[in-house]
Amino acid sequence: MPRPFVAALAAALCMLPAIARADAPPMGVQRAGNVTIVRQTDPAALLVGVEYVVPAGLDRQTLTQSGLSALTAESILRTPVAGVPLADAIAAKGGSVHWNVEANDVRFYVESLPEDAPAVTALFLSAVAKPDFSAATVDAARASVDRKFAARQQAALQVGLDMLAREASPSANSGSPELGSPASLAQLSANDAAAFYARNYRRDGSVVSAAGRVDALPAGWGESFANALPPGSGKAIFVHLPALEGSSRQFVTHRDIGAPWLIAQYPAPPIDSKDFGAMLVLSAFIQRTLLDVSGMPSVVSATIGSRAIGSIYSFDGQPPRLTLFVNGEIGNPTQAFETALQLVNVLSQTRLHGSIDQFKAAAAGDFAGDADRLESRASLGGLFAGEGASPDFLNRTLAAIAATTPDDVRRVAKKYLNDPAIALVLPRDNS
Amino acid sequence: MIARALAAAATLAVAAVLACAPAVAAQESGALPQGGSYVSAPDPTLGTASVGLWYRAPSDGYGSVSQPGLMRIAATAASSSKLVSGRSLSETVRDLGGRLYIEVFPDIVGVHAVVPAASARRVAAAMTAAYFAPSIDADALKSAQRDAAVLSVEQRYSPDETLHDLLFAQIFSGRPASVSPVPAGVPAITAIQLDAVTAFAKRAFRSSNALLVLTGNVDSSVLSGVTDGTGPGAMDQPVNSTLAGSPAPLTTATGAVTGLGLAWTGPPISDERSATALDFISDYLFRDDTGIVSRALESDDATFVDGQFVTLHDAGVMFVTISGKNTDAARKIVDAELTKMQTPLDAERFNAAREAFLYHLAGQTETPLEQGENLGWYSAEGNAAYAPFSSSGAYVQAARSLDPEFVASVARRYLSRPIVVQLGTVKPPKGSTS
Repeated sequence: MPRPFVAALAAALCMLPAIARADAPPMGVQRAGNVTIVRQTDPAALLVGVEYVVPAGLDRQTLTQSGLSALTAESILRTPVAGVPLADAIAAKGGSVHWNVEANDVRFYVESLPEDAPAVTALFLSAVAKPDFSAATVDAARASVDRKFAARQQAALQVGLDMLAREASPSANSGSPELGSPASLAQLSANDAAAFYARNYRRDGSVVSAAGRVDALPAGWGESFANALPPGSGKAIFVHLPALEGSSRQFVTHRDIGAPWLIAQYPAPPIDSKDFGAMLVLSAFIQRTLLDVSGMPSVVSATIGSRAIGSIYSFDGQPPRLTLFVNGEIGNPTQAFETALQLVNVLSQTRLHGSIDQFKAAAAGDFAGDADRLESRASLGGLFAGEGASPDFLNRTLAAIAATTPDDVRRVAKKYLNDPAIALVLPRDNS
Repeated sequence: MIARALAAAATLAVAAVLACAPAVAAQESGALPQGGSYVSAPDPTLGTASVGLWYRAPSDGYGSVSQPGLMRIAATAASSSKLVSGRSLSETVRDLGGRLYIEVFPDIVGVHAVVPAASARRVAAAMTAAYFAPSIDADALKSAQRDAAVLSVEQRYSPDETLHDLLFAQIFSGRPASVSPVPAGVPAITAIQLDAVTAFAKRAFRSSNALLVLTGNVDSSVLSGVTDGTGPGAMDQPVNSTLAGSPAPLTTATGAVTGLGLAWTGPPISDERSATALDFISDYLFRDDTGIVSRALESDDATFVDGQFVTLHDAGVMFVTISGKNTDAARKIVDAELTKMQTPLDAERFNAAREAFLYHLAGQTETPLEQGENLGWYSAEGNAAYAPFSSSGAYVQAARSLDPEFVASVARRYLSRPIVVQLGTVKPPKGSTS
């Protein structure tokens, strides 16, 4: 790191009391073959959690296999262990397990009371190494994914984000709906799930990230996870679809909701970009300014306004995105949305005058606050440890925020905030 | 069934935090320099700190005439009053990148700020200045009234919160539990005058009636920020409300939404084992995703059931709220499962459910805010050592001591005949109770 930058960073940290440097928890990264193992020990935690990331996400399925990654993951959770599905067996031992499908991988998160950690991790590893893809198990998994799909359809913001993901993704399959659809799931057989598992559940490129009472995990836990799957790696499938013709980048859909949602999305930098800190500050600036201009500031923080309007910087997405959203329940959504888009335009044209310390503090507070949960800490540790970097996500991010200048904010706004894709989720006529 | 996402500020949120701590790290407690007490539970690996103040006070005021919402208005106004710095507590927290939460219940109030760790001392200083020496003016009152108006509208459209207040009004005949802590509409809000707010704040928010709760990335330097105070003295006694002698078994009410509420009077907080048994029953039957009732309704995405035991000084309340399309069918499931609870579960099922209960409880005190709310709530209700997040371990011991026969006996004793409130959007026929 160049010395002037270090000096500037140190000075910035000293001048900004709102941006704390936390005591880095005892943490470390090790490699076991092509598997990354991360640990963050927190002796004060009441639980221990392990995120297990396998490169078996949406980019491993074809468009006609939409939902197969999710179906395979859920089949693992439904695999009978000691006579009951894995998820129930883990619950009975004092823990939980769930999964999320992403563009490039599937993320399992296993959590338990410290004293139950050996039994819970053993149950999980036995099922992930030898899942059951019988018709009965896969049928139960399909029904479960169907229910998750139905629930997701009731969340208007998520519906809009799903539409925009397809538009943003470099490969059509990696932007497909994470849960598929009931129609696509119905076409997938037990053999499809078994074949997907055999092809893609390989250890190379996987990440194991533990947080909390890591001391309670059984000896050699990292290696146990690292060796749970056969050696080797699967292969991503690139699905190219011709771009949609026409000048509009607006997507419109209807759901049973009470008020419209307006969503705009822009590209954004990943965590290892020099623009990362500035984009966090920019996102915080937009969030706070939107609340102010829409007349939604309040004495307390968690209000209907704070949930109805804002920005989300998905730095862990593939690709990363910045999303602005407005829920029509707050009054005049069109006006608020237009204000948001104008604000973004102004930011890319004009240097911010005066101090940006408040927005840096807001960015630091938002990031740190969102990283309090064990699952977030495990996930961020794994994300930041990629490419052999430090998993100390908190202090790395706080340093990036502290080093941000008004010129950085303008530069990043100009670089990324152009030509948004827009999704409108509207009430049905009978809603 | 779909889990209903309740806002953090929802009336019941803190009541639902029943978390336990199988191995809670060391905690400190003691007296504040100018009156009041504190408890501190540090975790230096986190990036945030939570600074909270908890008080015992009647939400509708100390006077003979009930003023619904007075405590909410006073607590919000105190945090929006200008301090010596020229900024209010609310503005200070926002400037420092934090979030402010005010949670008002009939008998207690909690104020929490979650901020980046390095700002904890500054926020502790601002918060204690704002509350120990409140200087509320007309502008602060106006801000508080505006916030209350938004909250009032939100509550109107929440079946759970509306039913909660209606059920409390049936179970308790006395103030303050029989009165909603959220003022009902603009006339009630504007009826609250500045002199009443100031007088209430000075009495309720004095330092000797306060518990300062520090959690997350905090250290001893945070306490040095507390310089204000009203002098030594004892915290007020817990605020109890008189139970209704013979509440009507069924009442109807009208509102902006529909729903069905069931409630039962439970044990006081001092009966730790019985209270823990009711927490266990709530978790076993009604927890999102894993509860028996929740799973029975998982294919019905249009019906919502929530159930929990609210631990209060005397007496606690178990309640269930049902809303959405198929309330009658859901009620049948609820009734059937509650009846089953009166018979002991088999040992294997019970042991698994108890282990799951302990895990769920630990998961509910993960964040500094949740930990602070947990310590604050149980202390304010009069049994600090029983707080699930307390390092005393009393709650965990109570949970570990549960057995099938005892849980069934608690179900038989407390959960036989519910008080029922039917909430509708159509005015009930003349002559019915409402």
